Amino acid sequence: MNKQKSIYDFEDSLSSASNPQRKINKCCRNFVAFMCTQVGVGALIVVYAICGALSFVAIETQYQDDSIELVHNLRRNCSTELWIKTESLNLFNRSVWESETNEILRSYQNNITSLIRKGYTGRTAQENWSFPAALMFCLSVFTMIGYGNMVPRTPWGKGFTVIYATFGIPLYILYFLNMGKVLANSFKFLYRVMHNCTDDSPVSPLQKKKVIVPSTACLWVIFIYILTGTVMFANWEDWTYLNSIYFCITSLCKIGFGDFVPGANLVLLASNAKDEKKRNFYEMQSQTKLAINFIYMLVGMGLVAMCYNLMREEVRVKWMEMREDLKLCLEDVRKRFDRWFGDSSSDDFYYDQRF
Amino acid sequence: MTVKNGYYKEKKPLKRIKEHCRNFTAFLFSNVGIIILVVFYTIGGAFMFREIEVSQSEHTMKHFGERNVKKIAKRLWTETVINVLNEKDFKTRINATLTDFQTTLFKSHLAGVGVNITQQWSFSGAFLYSLTVITTIGYGNISPKSIWGKLVTILYAIIGMPLFLLYLSNIGDILAKSFKWIYAKVFLCRICPGVTKRRIMREHLKIKAMALELMDLDDYSIDEELNLEMENLDIQKDSSTVTVPITVSLTIIIGYILFGAFLFHRWEDWDMLNGSYFCFISLSSIGFGDIVPGDKVINGTNGDEMELSFILCAIYLLLGMALIAMCFNLMQEQVIHEIRKMKLFFKRCCTCATCR
Repeated sequence: MNKQKSIYDFEDSLSSASNPQRKINKCCRNFVAFMCTQVGVGALIVVYAICGALSFVAIETQYQDDSIELVHNLRRNCSTELWIKTESLNLFNRSVWESETNEILRSYQNNITSLIRKGYTGRTAQENWSFPAALMFCLSVFTMIGYGNMVPRTPWGKGFTVIYATFGIPLYILYFLNMGKVLANSFKFLYRVMHNCTDDSPVSPLQKKKVIVPSTACLWVIFIYILTGTVMFANWEDWTYLNSIYFCITSLCKIGFGDFVPGANLVLLASNAKDEKKRNFYEMQSQTKLAINFIYMLVGMGLVAMCYNLMREEVRVKWMEMREDLKLCLEDVRKRFDRWFGDSSSDDFYYDQRF
Repeated sequence: MTVKNGYYKEKKPLKRIKEHCRNFTAFLFSNVGIIILVVFYTIGGAFMFREIEVSQSEHTMKHFGERNVKKIAKRLWTETVINVLNEKDFKTRINATLTDFQTTLFKSHLAGVGVNITQQWSFSGAFLYSLTVITTIGYGNISPKSIWGKLVTILYAIIGMPLFLLYLSNIGDILAKSFKWIYAKVFLCRICPGVTKRRIMREHLKIKAMALELMDLDDYSIDEELNLEMENLDIQKDSSTVTVPITVSLTIIIGYILFGAFLFHRWEDWDMLNGSYFCFISLSSIGFGDIVPGDKVINGTNGDEMELSFILCAIYLLLGMALIAMCFNLMQEQVIHEIRKMKLFFKRCCTCATCR
């Protein structure tokens, strides 16, 4: 076999040497294959995300958000009401004044709460849909995380989201599978090298190929990655470690509740709404955080894919072994059962088969 | 010899029964079992989350809104006492206070204060929540606020997601098989023998004409060869080799989404765009959570009636995910089939080119 192969190789090299055009063709083919499978898919997904972000920014900034105007009006009405009440009631009876004020405030609270529930954040669409935020939104669409802290409000935006997801999700799955394979191969290579380095005993070349990465190694890698993310986000966002790990795991599992999203801390933005300088600072910071979160998620998904790839292999091997064991065990039990409790006919059968 | 024969005859029905039993248990374990397991896992999760969330957060967040209002009223009183003669000054100060009030409202909303927790974590709400965890949809309209709730969610997701994936792959496989069978029998009229015969005859004639054109062989030998081939074809073309075209799968998906849109249009008074948007976002497991069924339950109006919409949504999702898995299964098969065909075609082209 080997000899034949070497002969083929030799012939191949001869023919390629004699024919430069074929050599170039081969080179081209290899290059195209590499681009298409490994680099290409990664680049494609980034380009796809950027294109999506640009178009979502273009679509969604056209949304006329009247809720800010509405809140402003509500506040003005409330203060006028309070003024009128104060004028009519005087300041001599505090308890009456307070009960009246409470009534007004309660209705104001209800109005504001219903507006918040409808999606009022105190920010205009232009502020909401900055480029990094839109990039994060695109990522959350095609990775199927779906944080939901930012959602398209226009009908066009909704329709475009549907179309974007239809093409994006298969692309992402392609990325997932490809990245998983590439990372798994490189991880396997690394593991093998380390395994061979640390293992001093001489190994035959046949045995070398049979090194299977144990699933604990994969779990360690994922665990360390999650831990890194946890510490990173906890320090940036002043989340507790529990919240941070909760965010990392729900994101990497593609659940994505959206109650914690880095760089989208609405409380901070709301409390710093008045101060222009501080606000700009937070705006800048949140954008870098979003960009880093984008990278963290994309790499994390690749790592998850790698672990999936490696563990599947091991699980399959283990599963086969277990099945084989079980089969043998069952066979053994059956034979014993036959020998002990079997009637004469089955005994006959048993001996018939044996001899 | 005779004894042996008798033994075999005796054993045969027993063996058959055994085989049936084994098949039945296998079916139960692999298919019905996994459906039941998923449903029970979700129900168990629902009870668990409900217990945790209600017990953990009830005493801390009660009457928060009321206290807030009183605090602000007191502050307003002090502001008012300072100066009541100048309206403009009064209004600017009152406005500042109200803005602060608004910010605290916003914060408390994000912390999940404004809603009634026992109502939000009703059984059906918690059921939908656990379903969104294991399907990785994650709407986020209901999310755990307590420490234990978060920890349990993490564990629940880690165990539940592989289970759900198993459910999807199993059910998708079965649905795909049965759909293919139905498609082969009904839509391609494999049931009625007349149509099949006619189709085969047509193909037969076509091939014969082609062969006659290409080669100068006598009719008889070709006929014989073709007959053999036809028999093979006839055997092969049962339900297992039929591939369902992609358009059919796509139509099923789109039909299911539109059906869901119509359903939610009736139940939730959404318009068709929002309904189909919701269905798509849910079934693709993105799950933004900006439009969620049963929002009226959380807002506290006619709870009993809208309670059902959670359950309806959960059933819609469970069925829909399986259906999507089926369609993906079929589409994958078809795509592989097409690619193989194309490869063959290209190969043939290449060889032809080199021959000439």
